[in-house]
Amino acid sequence: MHHSTKKWLVIKFSSIILIPLMFWFIVNLASIYDESYIEIVNFFAKNSSKALYSLFLIAAFSFFSLTISEVFEDYIDNEKIKNVATKMLYVFAIIMPLITISSILNLN
Amino acid sequence: MYEKNPLSPHLQIYKWHLSMILSITHRIIGVVNSVAIILICLWTISLPFGEENYEIIKILFQSFFGKLLITSLSWSFSFHILSEIRHLIWDLGYGFDLKIAKITGVITIIGSLVLTVLIYILGNFFI
Repeated sequence: MHHSTKKWLVIKFSSIILIPLMFWFIVNLASIYDESYIEIVNFFAKNSSKALYSLFLIAAFSFFSLTISEVFEDYIDNEKIKNVATKMLYVFAIIMPLITISSILNLN
Repeated sequence: MYEKNPLSPHLQIYKWHLSMILSITHRIIGVVNSVAIILICLWTISLPFGEENYEIIKILFQSFFGKLLITSLSWSFSFHILSEIRHLIWDLGYGFDLKIAKITGVITIIGSLVLTVLIYILGNFFI
């Protein structure tokens, strides 16, 4: 399978997963964002929230890193800058959800 | 010659139409949502640092600006969800007809506003 085909399939697969998770997250965010610290921690401390939020972050960062790399492809002319920007984007898309998920897992 | 390839899209050449506006908006909203998700990550990373450190974020969220921020985020998420569903329908080979593409475009715009209201109702009254 061609590299671009694989990339396209991953984008589509992550978007299918992301759509319901985005809806779940934004509804819950609208529900808790102005609540007290305790209420917010209680929400993220639930096992179901931890699992769904982790899945949401993994799908979101996979999707956005791949689609933003497409934007780089379209708008950055210089190959070297494009490659560096894309690699930095991919590294960031791995590190950021990992740190966030690990901080959420520690909440009780 | 290869490096001189034109970059897309050529915004200054084509006459603007609904599908073009939605395509550009989809990209911009995608970037906006990416930044928003990074900020959401920083928000959740701040939680283990304790209640005292959370006070500033709480004041921000309880202000008018905080409510505006969440409403805007609800719309940008709604728009992205509906626009992505539109793209998935195209990927299945449907909806390319010009008339249908215009109808789905209008549905995306109006639907995103309806979904924003629905998110507000669900978030504030049912959860």
